[in-house]
Amino acid sequence: MSVAQGKSKASKKKAANATKRLRLGLSIMLALLVVVGGKLFLVQGLDVGGMAEAALDNRLRPTVLPAERGSILDANGTVLANSVIRYNITVDQSVNTKTESFKRLENVDGKDELVTVSRDQGISELAAVLGMDVEDVRKSVTGTRTYYIVAKDLRPDVENRVSDLQIPGIFSEGTSKRVYPNGSVAGGIVGFLENGTTGQAGLEQTQDEILRGTPGKRVFEIGADGLRIPVGIDELTPAQDGKDVKLTLNSDIQYFAQQAIQTQADKLSAEWGVIIVSDVKTGNIIAMADTNTPDPNDPGKVAAKDRGVRSVTAAYEPGSVEKPLTAAALIQEGKSSPLDRFTIPPSLVIDGQQFDDAFSHGTEERTLAGIIGYSMNTGTVMAGSRLTRDQRHDWLQKFGIGEAPDIGLPAEAKGILTPAAQWDDRQQYTVLFGQGVSQSTLQTVRAYQTIANGGVMLQPRLIDSYISPDGSEEKVPAKPSRQIISKDTAKQVRDMLESAVTEGEIKEAAIDGYRVGAKTGTSESPCDDGTAGFCGYTASILGMAPMDDPRFIVEVVLQRPKGSIYGITNGPVFRSVMSQVLRTYNVPPSKGTPVRLPQYAK
Amino acid sequence: MSAAAAKNLALPSGPSVQEIEAGLPGSARKARTPLSLVRSAPKKRRAPFVVLCFGMLAAALIAVLVLNISVSTAQYQLVKLRAEQTALTKQNQDLTQQVQNFEAPQNLAAKAAELGMVASTGKGQIDLSTLTVSGDAKPAVKGDSAGAVIAAPAVPGQLNVVPPASSGEPLASRAPAASETASGEKAAAEPETPAAAKAAGPAAAAKPAALNGGTIPAPEQRTPGQ
Repeated sequence: MSVAQGKSKASKKKAANATKRLRLGLSIMLALLVVVGGKLFLVQGLDVGGMAEAALDNRLRPTVLPAERGSILDANGTVLANSVIRYNITVDQSVNTKTESFKRLENVDGKDELVTVSRDQGISELAAVLGMDVEDVRKSVTGTRTYYIVAKDLRPDVENRVSDLQIPGIFSEGTSKRVYPNGSVAGGIVGFLENGTTGQAGLEQTQDEILRGTPGKRVFEIGADGLRIPVGIDELTPAQDGKDVKLTLNSDIQYFAQQAIQTQADKLSAEWGVIIVSDVKTGNIIAMADTNTPDPNDPGKVAAKDRGVRSVTAAYEPGSVEKPLTAAALIQEGKSSPLDRFTIPPSLVIDGQQFDDAFSHGTEERTLAGIIGYSMNTGTVMAGSRLTRDQRHDWLQKFGIGEAPDIGLPAEAKGILTPAAQWDDRQQYTVLFGQGVSQSTLQTVRAYQTIANGGVMLQPRLIDSYISPDGSEEKVPAKPSRQIISKDTAKQVRDMLESAVTEGEIKEAAIDGYRVGAKTGTSESPCDDGTAGFCGYTASILGMAPMDDPRFIVEVVLQRPKGSIYGITNGPVFRSVMSQVLRTYNVPPSKGTPVRLPQYAK
Repeated sequence: MSAAAAKNLALPSGPSVQEIEAGLPGSARKARTPLSLVRSAPKKRRAPFVVLCFGMLAAALIAVLVLNISVSTAQYQLVKLRAEQTALTKQNQDLTQQVQNFEAPQNLAAKAAELGMVASTGKGQIDLSTLTVSGDAKPAVKGDSAGAVIAAPAVPGQLNVVPPASSGEPLASRAPAASETASGEKAAAEPETPAAAKAAGPAAAAKPAALNGGTIPAPEQRTPGQ
């Protein structure tokens, strides 16, 4: 019995010891478990230290998906500007320098074989494809840099040939390049880009937002081995390509007009010249030609002052082309009519100011038509003085002088029409014949378009519509039109313009088969460098045809041609451009009898 | 112990349970059932279940493999088609640009002058409604110089002179690594007839100074990569 008791005591002790050890072990394990669990909770649940976020940032790769820049088209869809794929050839110099020879799959005798090509041969082949010197190519592929551009802006077929060479270390990267297939035809209007991305002149600048589109974004997760993690984040916002801009220009007539004005300016050594061709019925600008137009592919070739569009930016004193506007004002106010009789002295003195004509004459009995037809300053002042100062000012304003046309080009001039109260004794009369007021060529064309269109002024339009990437065309609405003069007044002014060609001094503007109305202008041009007085002349001619129902207006302006101004005529240039326009648009020959208002009063 | 063996086993004789219980005090208990061997139920055969499990596993693996293969093949095809699309887009762009270059008015005018064409001076008109011919059309005569030259578009990498109409392979003029301009000889015949088929191979590039009797110099070509 005592043995058994002793036994049980011992075993109890053992048991107690065992239990104690068990408990101790368990508690240690529990403690460790708490530590691990706590840390897990901290890291996973609370993310102390932002490690999950840091890891995600490490994996995330946002890539920008570039949007394709929209094109600029002319009225017939001819591309004036578009973006194309070009390739840069880059080299990993470290790879290429250490590869003395490489194997390439070639087709030898009809069988595909692996041919060993030496590094030198590879370099000479590459130079041949790129059209570069072998030594230059060797220098650019030798070195330790991992990225070096060997050639830029290669066409896709050249890039194909380079890739076929399979030279180790040579890669190609695609870029987008802006190309202007028509070069300097409409070059100033289209404009050009700086750094290949942002518009810097012309429509590329003003329409930059619309042409540019919105780039897209792709965000995905990438592992350390460079492979995309398929089950990670993958968000895609597609890029929205830019819209195309369709213009009202006709690039063939634009070329014709550019060539014509360049020839004329070169022949007469003028500072610059401008031709504008406008559609009377819609106000659409068919051509806007300048001399020395930049080629947007290489705009640096022309001087900075030539990179704008002088048709809208250059404001000058228009001279005699303003006279028909004065006549229109007189007729609309009921103060004169085309056959109204005026007795004009050889030199007019009014309010202490003397006015002379370009040609000397005795006292003449002239009609208003004759005053316009022979471009007489004296007659214009005599007739125009029937208008009050304010009327003279307001009528010029109604015809758009002092109001810039908004066609979407930068730096459009609004001209200078000073308030009537500020006019001095001379200026109040000189504005009647276009001196003492300045306007751009487009403003003059707009004023005449009013006369040609039955008195309704339409704002000139250059941008016809916007074409979205999905092909839908959104026409730019025409700005509201205004009735400036009555239809009848417009007809009478047109008759005077036609008589200027048939009976008056502008016979050189006549075109076979069509009735033409025209007005020449010779104005003194204020000196540009700020010195007082005038330097040189501005010679212009503006005509419309066919007079039975005018459809087109052409204005030719030449700034400071050299030589005697009285011997210079822009008539032939006007004739050739207007004939070309009439021919291009298949205008039927004029019917009816041409108007021949008498220039002298009986 | 098997049942047979159990039958043969002789139990040691001793007092039976009932006798012992009879001798024990307070043995009003029931008699226990006599010991006998319990026949166990036949064991469940697990083999088919295991086979089924393995079979399903194999099937699932094979299905996943097949799926992966088909996805990969589709992926290869996708890559191939994408590459084809890129190549065609590149070619399309290239050809479009060539056409645009040929259509540029300056290049057309230069080519026309090269072919000996002149601007017309007179024109006539046919009125279809009255079937009359108006105007007086005279044959064109070569006037004085054509006037100012608007330079050809300086698009890098484009051939700046329109190549002659050839009866050979249309892309022959784009020989590999050839950057020579291919201006044909001046065709003396009318512009309509492709007499320029006479121009067999590409002639040397016309230098800017050589006007070849015309008034418009051939524009220069820019080499790519410069």
